[in-house]
Amino acid sequence: MIKLQNINKVYRTKTVETLALNNINLTIPAGEFLSIMGPSGCGKSTLLNIMGLIDEPSEGSIEIAGQTLPDYNAKSIAKFRNEKLGFIFQSFHLINDLSIIDNVELPLLYRRVGSKERKALAEEALIKVGLKNRMQHFPGQLSGGQKQRVAIARAIVGQPDIILADEPTGNLDSSMGNEIMDILLRLNQEQGTTIVMVTHDESMARKTNRLIRLFDGNQVQ
Amino acid sequence: MVKHIFTLIWNKKKSNFLLFLEILLSFLILFAVFALVIDYLRVYQEPLGFNTENLWIAHLDFDDRTDTLVVEETKANLYRELLSNPDIESVSFADRKSLLSGSSSSWGSDENGFFLQTLLYSSDIGFKKTAELNLVAGRWFNESDKTAKYTPIIINRKLAEGAFKGREVIDSIFTIRKEVKIVGIVDHYNAFGEFEDEDSVALFYEPKESISTPSLYIRTKANANASWEEKANQTIAQITKDKGFVINNLDRQRKEDNKAVWIPMIAMLCICTFLVINVALGLFGILWYNINQRKAEIGLRRTLGASRTDISAQFIGEVLMVVGFAIFVGIGFAIQFPLMKIFDFENINYYYAILGAASVILVVVLICAYYPSRQAALIRPALALHED
Repeated sequence: MIKLQNINKVYRTKTVETLALNNINLTIPAGEFLSIMGPSGCGKSTLLNIMGLIDEPSEGSIEIAGQTLPDYNAKSIAKFRNEKLGFIFQSFHLINDLSIIDNVELPLLYRRVGSKERKALAEEALIKVGLKNRMQHFPGQLSGGQKQRVAIARAIVGQPDIILADEPTGNLDSSMGNEIMDILLRLNQEQGTTIVMVTHDESMARKTNRLIRLFDGNQVQ
Repeated sequence: MVKHIFTLIWNKKKSNFLLFLEILLSFLILFAVFALVIDYLRVYQEPLGFNTENLWIAHLDFDDRTDTLVVEETKANLYRELLSNPDIESVSFADRKSLLSGSSSSWGSDENGFFLQTLLYSSDIGFKKTAELNLVAGRWFNESDKTAKYTPIIINRKLAEGAFKGREVIDSIFTIRKEVKIVGIVDHYNAFGEFEDEDSVALFYEPKESISTPSLYIRTKANANASWEEKANQTIAQITKDKGFVINNLDRQRKEDNKAVWIPMIAMLCICTFLVINVALGLFGILWYNINQRKAEIGLRRTLGASRTDISAQFIGEVLMVVGFAIFVGIGFAIQFPLMKIFDFENINYYYAILGAASVILVVVLICAYYPSRQAALIRPALALHED
């Protein structure tokens, strides 16, 4: 479960103060597939980053899987992210100099999992997303849809409780987008993984359990 | 993590090749300079065997046709008159090449039943005191040697422990150009100076009246009055009826000779320092560029659970692996020098040079990699991912 209470996020420069999130209160039960929608710059990604503990709120508290954060130090938060959270990004964020299987192994590397076990788990994850034959390829040799499937494999390889997806179909055409969405739905339904997805696509959002909308940093729905 | 870094380095081998090459060449240059400098310093530490302080030389010109009686009388007068100068401690005659002349005569043969090669010098009885040679065995020349059946010689320890190793040498007869009797051994005798290896030396006795020893060596007292030189000059000119000689200070000559080695050596070390600074700046630049190019990757790694230490270790590890590989290949080349005896250096010099070059490069790399890697670790993941 994710519980956000009175979350505010303010970006300050010398001359300007921008309120990115204004008093967000949100509870996401375990196993839910939630989508977040809103116009560009409304704070969707900021909210997702705060849930993913890669950004800090200016005010408010976060509780994930029963643990209140960010009371931990940076190292503990990194460990928590590694064990509990999976991330999928619009621009995939694959490392071009690593093979597909090495990319998928990354979260396990930081969990200090042994080489053989890492390889086995990464293979298993790639099989789940239908990329068994592409393991030794490099990201540059894959289509956009395949890259996003690699990113999903990387997100699920550590069997996290929660997956945070920032516009996972944003860079894909509709058929590839649907494929990715099907994989995410399957993960949610078959394995009970909690998924929070930011999207601009109404049709994708409708496939999820719940939709919230943001506008100028405020939750409007 | 090591395997992961190796995979990353291997997959980026083309872009790492220039760094590899830069480090390899730097290592080889440092190795060559260090080997040379270490060898020079090693030789420099070896004793000369004589003391140049307050030691002066004047080369006198005795014509071969000069009557031996005239030479004898001239030399005897020089001895007497110079030693009457209260500032002069001792005087002796030796051949022109005896000390720091840069030239020598050598002799090599297996006439004794074993191969023997040595440099040849000659001097009179007073040379030990004047040059302050250190006799370690046997005796020095004395007046009885003038009528000895065999020409007496003094050898240095290098010859005694080299060609004569395992043989009784004192009072033994050998053939060195002619039949000679070894009467004593001096600790060291390195006539070529502090930056040359000591060679085997045989010092022949020549009576002071001999025409073969025209170089006059003068040792002054430590507190000698500066005017001694002028007085000595007048005395020598008066006795030899020649004004074409110059009294030179051997200590000054030794220092001048040494400068000819020190200056290029310091120049080489300065060039190496600039090279190391260049390597450092290059590395620093490469790392900054790498980090800026890989901000999204750093953000991703942090997001996936890498701690700040993991990020620092990643960048330092990548550089160390490329540099380590370059040094490894460099050592492969460098080790050929002692194995194949390419130059006449002692093997240990090469090993010290390898150690020195590798240490300098590793320390520079660690210093240069540390700060950018720390900065990389401080990159905030949300910002880095957003920038991409």
